[in-house]
Amino acid sequence: MSGGIARGRLAEERKAWRKNHPHGFVAKPETLPDGTVNLMIWHCTIPGKQGTDWEGGYFPLTLHFSEDYPSKPPKCKFPQGFFHPNVYPSGTVCLSILNEDSGWRPAITVKQILVGIQDLLDQPNPADPAQTDGYHLFIQDPTEYKRRVRLQAKQYPALV
Amino acid sequence: MTTTGEVDSAAGGEDLEPLFDYKRVQPRMTFSFDDSDLEAADIFKHCNKRPRVQATTEEVETKPDEAAATTKVVLLDEEDWLKPPPPKAAFRASAEEDSTFRELRLKRQEWAKFAESAQDILQKMDEMTNNEVGPKEPPEQIILDEESEPPVEKAREKIVISIQDKDGHQQMRVYKDEKFDKLLKVYANKAKLNPSDLSFVFDGEKINPSSTPQDLDLEDEDMIEVRRKRS
Repeated sequence: MSGGIARGRLAEERKAWRKNHPHGFVAKPETLPDGTVNLMIWHCTIPGKQGTDWEGGYFPLTLHFSEDYPSKPPKCKFPQGFFHPNVYPSGTVCLSILNEDSGWRPAITVKQILVGIQDLLDQPNPADPAQTDGYHLFIQDPTEYKRRVRLQAKQYPALV
Repeated sequence: MTTTGEVDSAAGGEDLEPLFDYKRVQPRMTFSFDDSDLEAADIFKHCNKRPRVQATTEEVETKPDEAAATTKVVLLDEEDWLKPPPPKAAFRASAEEDSTFRELRLKRQEWAKFAESAQDILQKMDEMTNNEVGPKEPPEQIILDEESEPPVEKAREKIVISIQDKDGHQQMRVYKDEKFDKLLKVYANKAKLNPSDLSFVFDGEKINPSSTPQDLDLEDEDMIEVRRKRS
């Protein structure tokens, strides 16, 4: 039953996304080799914000929805080793609105999640570090941190 | 005690008188009692309606003809005098209907105007497309025309597509089987840009200019993006 709820909601999310979404963002459910669509996994792209060191990067993000969605938030993952103070080495994003026990509400849309993560890119939360590399550079060596961010943006150019 | 007194005093005159008087009192009492009961009595049911009928005739008196008719009918039995009111009600209803009809007619005119203006816009857009891109590719049409049933409508089904750039988005109505090539040229012309510098993107993938909305399973009001080639 809950799976039905999750899929119903995700189908709605997809419908809404197709009709309107922020520019440069991509969010689409996974298509399996046989052509069927898996609504539980979405492949997304988050563009780095203009005017920040993240500009020019189009960062791939995967959303893993559980059968308990939208009671529980999706797990949001950048590629492994993604450079950011609030991203775990596994790539999992650490953000309050994605935490079942703090900021998550079932009404939060996919669009809001992606825009929220775009905001997080340029505004890391030093109170909640998830990786040592990004965190230490952010605190101790802003110049090097900046350089690394720009380098990473170049690693993820626009695909189109 | 008193009765005996009365009897005694009456006894002074004639013997039977007091008894007769006493009897008279009772009928009088029951009489008045019966009088008030009369209305409720079953036998007089049809009589009871009379006062009410008179009341209605008074109300109706604004229309003398009708009033006269009703008063006449009162003399007949129940079933007949009940009839007159409906014509009056019907008359009122027709007046109301008239006003609703008028409203409906106005609404219809409004909508007609709206549809007209919408059609004008569509026509202009069509003309624009035709002028800018030339005649539509006929070979495809011919193939589609061979399809059964309503081929023309099917072939020329239109959808609205939102085209988004950095500054916002606008909606364009396109044929589902029209190549994006054409749309790109129209869009570039509007934006005063070179079509070869632009490309459409759907779901993060570049749209092949020779494909059509149908090929991509685009639905009404789906959004595609415009990217400027910068390399």
